[in-house]
Amino acid sequence: MTDLRRIVFGSHPRRTAVRILVLAAISFVTFRWVLIPVRTQGISMQPTYESGVLEFVNRLAYIRRPPGRGDVVAIRLAGPHVVYVKRIIALPGERVQIVHGQVLINGAPLDEPYVRNRRPWDVPEVALTHAEYYVIGDNRGMRASDHDFGRVEATRILGRIMF
Amino acid sequence: MSTRSRLGAVAVVAVCAFVAWRAWPSNDEQVIRRRLDALTADLNMTVAQGSSTLARAADIGSYFADDVVVDLGEGAAPIVGRATLVGMASRLERRTSAFRLRFDDVGIRLGPGATTADVTLTASFVQRNGVDGAESMDAREFTLALVKASGVWRITRVAAVDTLK
Repeated sequence: MTDLRRIVFGSHPRRTAVRILVLAAISFVTFRWVLIPVRTQGISMQPTYESGVLEFVNRLAYIRRPPGRGDVVAIRLAGPHVVYVKRIIALPGERVQIVHGQVLINGAPLDEPYVRNRRPWDVPEVALTHAEYYVIGDNRGMRASDHDFGRVEATRILGRIMF
Repeated sequence: MSTRSRLGAVAVVAVCAFVAWRAWPSNDEQVIRRRLDALTADLNMTVAQGSSTLARAADIGSYFADDVVVDLGEGAAPIVGRATLVGMASRLERRTSAFRLRFDDVGIRLGPGATTADVTLTASFVQRNGVDGAESMDAREFTLALVKASGVWRITRVAAVDTLK
């Protein structure tokens, strides 16, 4: 019994208790405010992210630098518990357009190696304000009408998807 | 215990009490949350689990004001009036039984006198595939306006928010 107690609580139970509390507090803070776990649902980010996969949103990613083109980000709806996961393709102040599936930024074609299948989507040119990004999923093989994409306010971007 | 320790303990208790007081939802907020929970429970209830289609539609209608306006956006014409909404709910019974609705991130801001409230929330629609049972989810953000009349909170306006424009 004494050996079992020592294995469970260690030779210094108080220190063990303090360690457990500190570990619990660090885990709570980390997974609530720093690395938020999200489970992807849907096919709009295929093939980069499959539906049902657990990802982590790094909320500290944009403290030192603003979001960049190609970043996969989490976008909040009413709050942080349900988010869109999309890729940034255009930055504030830019013009974006899709012609027969090809994305044009300020009139120049955008190289998108992460896109495997492309349907001939056509989206009229949009000029972004200085507080907006343009986000879209990697799966362009689906119908545009089934795909949520477009302009998003910078304040809605929660963080960057880690992996 | 020294005087300094006592003062420290009192300060900690005071800070905790202040934080709890600020974070604790008011009675009306709790009532609105319970009402929204009850609405989702009623919407998720199938006819087989409870009352008839018409009774269920009437139950759902009781959460809305007579002159409610539901604007789902995306070019759809707004649904105006509780009677219209109840009629649509009863006709949609077969389709909605395959859905499960959930409200997340419910934020409530009470108006002056706590007789009106603005609510923001994310509505998640989980649909089960009848063939393999796989679930797919669609989520949309909504704003709601509520009014308290005769002690009952009712929804007067529902508007979809375009998160991506």
